[in-house]
Amino acid sequence: MGISDVIPVPVAIDEEIEKWTIFGQPVAEVWFTTTEKIHQIIEMGPIKNIFNWGRKNSVYFLMQPMGCCGVEMFVFGAAPYDSDRFGCIPRNTPRQTDVMIISGYLTRKYLPVFKNLWDEMPEPKWCIAIGECAISGGPFYDSYNIVQNTGDHFPIDVFIPGCPPRPEQFLEGLMNLQEKIKQRKDKRDY
Amino acid sequence: MDIIGSISQFAAQEPAIFALIIGVIGAAVIAAVVNVGAMLVIWGERKVLSDFCNRFGPNRVGGRWGILQLGADAIKLFTKEDIIPADADKGVYVWAPIVASMGTMLVAAAIPFGALHIGGKDYPLVVANMDISAFYVEAALSIMAIAVFMAGYSSNNKYSMLGAFRGVARMIAYEVPMGVCVISVAVMAHSLNLVEIVQSQTVWYAFAQPLGFVIFVIALITDLGRIPFDQSEAEEEIISGYNTEYSGIRWGLLYFQEYNNALLGSILLSLLFLGGWQGPIIPIPVLDIISPLIWLLMKVIIVLWFFIWVRSSLFRLRIDQVTDLGWKWMLPLSLVNLGWAVLVGSYFA
Amino acid sequence: MTNASEVLSSIQSAFPGAVLDSRVESDRRLWATIDSKKILDVCKHLTTKLNFDHYSGSAGVDWIARKEMEVVEIMASHGAHQVVAMLKVKTPRENPSVKSLTGLYWNANWYEREIWEMFGINFEGHPELYPLLLSDELMGAWPWRKDYKGYPDLTTGERAVKISTPEGYTEYHIPPTPAEVEAGTVVTERPKYPTLREREEKEIKSDSEMIMHLGPQHAMVPGPFLLDVLVEGERVHKAFLDLGYIHKGIEKIMENRSWLQGITYTDRMCYVASLSNNECYCGAIEKILGLEVPLRAQYIRVILEELSRIQSHLIGTGEFLTLIAGVGYAPWQYMIIDRENIISLIESVTGARLTHTFVRFGGVRNDLPAGFADQCKKVLPYMKSRTEEFIELFAQDPIYHKRMDGVGIIRPDDAKRMGVSGPPLRATGVAYDMRKEDPILVYPELDFKVVTGTKGDSADRIDVRLREMLESIHIIEQCLDRIPEGPIKTEVKVPKKVPAGEAYYRVEDPRGEMGMYVISDGGDKPYRVKVRGPFYATFQTLTPLLEGTYIADAVAIAGSMDGCPSEADR
Repeated sequence: MGISDVIPVPVAIDEEIEKWTIFGQPVAEVWFTTTEKIHQIIEMGPIKNIFNWGRKNSVYFLMQPMGCCGVEMFVFGAAPYDSDRFGCIPRNTPRQTDVMIISGYLTRKYLPVFKNLWDEMPEPKWCIAIGECAISGGPFYDSYNIVQNTGDHFPIDVFIPGCPPRPEQFLEGLMNLQEKIKQRKDKRDY
Repeated sequence: MDIIGSISQFAAQEPAIFALIIGVIGAAVIAAVVNVGAMLVIWGERKVLSDFCNRFGPNRVGGRWGILQLGADAIKLFTKEDIIPADADKGVYVWAPIVASMGTMLVAAAIPFGALHIGGKDYPLVVANMDISAFYVEAALSIMAIAVFMAGYSSNNKYSMLGAFRGVARMIAYEVPMGVCVISVAVMAHSLNLVEIVQSQTVWYAFAQPLGFVIFVIALITDLGRIPFDQSEAEEEIISGYNTEYSGIRWGLLYFQEYNNALLGSILLSLLFLGGWQGPIIPIPVLDIISPLIWLLMKVIIVLWFFIWVRSSLFRLRIDQVTDLGWKWMLPLSLVNLGWAVLVGSYFA
Repeated sequence: MTNASEVLSSIQSAFPGAVLDSRVESDRRLWATIDSKKILDVCKHLTTKLNFDHYSGSAGVDWIARKEMEVVEIMASHGAHQVVAMLKVKTPRENPSVKSLTGLYWNANWYEREIWEMFGINFEGHPELYPLLLSDELMGAWPWRKDYKGYPDLTTGERAVKISTPEGYTEYHIPPTPAEVEAGTVVTERPKYPTLREREEKEIKSDSEMIMHLGPQHAMVPGPFLLDVLVEGERVHKAFLDLGYIHKGIEKIMENRSWLQGITYTDRMCYVASLSNNECYCGAIEKILGLEVPLRAQYIRVILEELSRIQSHLIGTGEFLTLIAGVGYAPWQYMIIDRENIISLIESVTGARLTHTFVRFGGVRNDLPAGFADQCKKVLPYMKSRTEEFIELFAQDPIYHKRMDGVGIIRPDDAKRMGVSGPPLRATGVAYDMRKEDPILVYPELDFKVVTGTKGDSADRIDVRLREMLESIHIIEQCLDRIPEGPIKTEVKVPKKVPAGEAYYRVEDPRGEMGMYVISDGGDKPYRVKVRGPFYATFQTLTPLLEGTYIADAVAIAGSMDGCPSEADR
């Protein structure tokens, strides 16, 4: 167990750091056990609950209309189905978002781009699939260009069925995601 | 225990260390006050903007008014993953939000936050009562532009770079007219000290120099980077502009300092043109001590509300139209205003 | 006034022997098979002598039983007369090749590219035969041919593979599934062409230029498409477009669904105005079957389509306003709230907010509910006053005029040559509206004017849309006064198998001229459905329009075309 298990460190520096000592004990072990202890304290109830309270009440989503459900996503972000009430505002850049809403059909051409967008989002992040096309291909289940199982490529937390679902169902899906975050049942185990 | 006695003894014996400790405590208090004020400004913007748009803002976090929404945002941003792009200029990238915060704190050090009316005299609440504080505050408000440029330039991203260049172009457009307006006010007040400018406003400078007032408001909105002048972070065109690559608390700091600047800029506007903390003293016992504070607060709230109103009603200008406006209209008119101030000021000397 | 038989006799006299087969369906439709060696001359004759100045589109058809392929050119006119000529050119199925019309018509470019990448028909003389809708891995598979077997299997599993580009970035590649490899449908021999990246980088002339992506993830229009601009500072030197990010293959899917199921797929093309798409498809089938739609159903269709037009213009305009004013802009939110009134009206009849699937062959699905007319009479005057308020709001806003006046000017000749239709064409001053040019349903009996603009810039396009909303309100009020009682579906039973035939039906979609070309071979599934979408043609204009503008203007222009990339991609 060395430093490079906790943070990625180039190999040559890693070997150098392994030799340092502080008060007669190797620095690597001291540091590692300390950060592990901090992680353990955080993973216990109260602090993690506060973190999750903050995360669930301020979920920013990526403004990315992809299909018919994308139009409903516009309406969901604006009046009258205001998502700002839940603290959920649309942002344009994936760096500042928490949830990726797959709002429509994923095609073969768009999937690589989409995976790049997913990678650019910082942790912790979640994924909501809206509409039949995002869940299973929908009416285009036998199309040569549509990706049928988006669940293979992204860890989807909430599925919102419908073709397209009403914006109130979007809100329900958002509230379900908030419930999941609070109970720590989301797919990525935050 | 004679606390006050021992403290004054300590102050007499070690004046330098005592001044340092008082300075640090004062800075912490000011920083806390200003940052909490900025959080209230962000909350206020979300609620007031939503009201203009015929919807509710945050109303589920922390009760019916959504007061704790900013707390949730802050907690979320603190616990986000820290991403620094591989090819970004790491030093400049990390220092950009810090420079933005430094700029705000520099402004907060010299700007009077009001006064306490004790025994018929006003004691201004200011950390560093500088003789040139009007000019200094107006210049320090522009440190945000340096931070914008640093952030955009170091991100190794085409959108950020465009945002950075637009930020610099924006600053070049408004810097001179804003300075000239401040000088026109100083000419009429015969001083550059903000405290004395407030005390010399028998008639508000908004009425004595209407042209200067209008130009200063426009230049201030440009300085703060609000719509109609927010080209450096125009979301739909360049995907969030200079802060495209920022995530987590680094972005939170940049976003936060924008609103910090908005608050301090509004205070500057109220002090320069709207009579500062002057107003009739409320005759109720405790309120009469803080009534100048209440007047200043009301004026700042009205100014901020006006900025939010402008945000929800106007379109965004193109960057070349902004520089056009700055050099062809604001600069000549501010010089005209300076001439007017000199004439009127010397007539009423 | 020219009619179809006159056109036919003119062609036959000018080029004896060129017309191999012909059918005059009515005064306004001409079907003719032209010898493939003479097609260029015939088209030139039509354009120069007979005023067919509108090249509407072209479709490819794969007649596998007859071992030949067909390219059908659709020629129409911008108001000189109302004839639509469908000219067919045949080519054998082995090494199919047809002469390209890009020399004559500028907007034939994309139609021919699409036919090439879907069918494999080579177009001689086409300057840039590159893929448009398909990704590089499907090139060479010719998906729309009748013997294409490449439908994916549904095995699960993470398939994306990370590869690093030479510059050090990561890209993802999705390899084919094992079932595809086994079935032999993975393309091994791809045609050679320069990729988009190579084409873009060829245009970089100096160090201060760079390529910036506006998309595919963007908030400009509701749907992803790639707009790359070559910028130097803030000026755009060149623009590159790439579609296909939401290409679903609807035209191929509809060949595997029954006639009735096909109506649901037409909804999902232009989902903001799905009732017009339904109408187009059902109208074409009604033409083949020779069905007569009862009068009440015609009025219901007109009412709902005009309501759909109003809400489509509202969201199109409102969303465009966020591009130049940020998401906090209040009138955008007001437009969305007003739109909810209209959507509730439509929902009370059809049951759905967005994808209605309401029009049926020979009628409509439901009758208007009780109290619909009263509800309309409450909502429509409110919408009228609000629209007039919006028009006045934009007319007196100086920053709006600074941003929008003189931005993206299209001249009327250019617009006609590029095949633009709908509000962008009418904003230039050309009064071309399908409701007057190719009248369907009860439009000939209603009184409305065609709204035109004067200058053809972005401000005019928005203005035309807002005034069109007022005209639609006027139309709906007339219909509500005149609607008779009666059946809403034809009494003739619609057969499961539609007899062999073909039809081309045109409708005024909120975005322009939409046409559907439906071929039936006597079965219970369509043989071929070709959709001529309005935004496909308007899209093509972006590449020349964006040269020399600022980036901020590029976004304003692209947004003001009010597009639906889903309909361009199908």
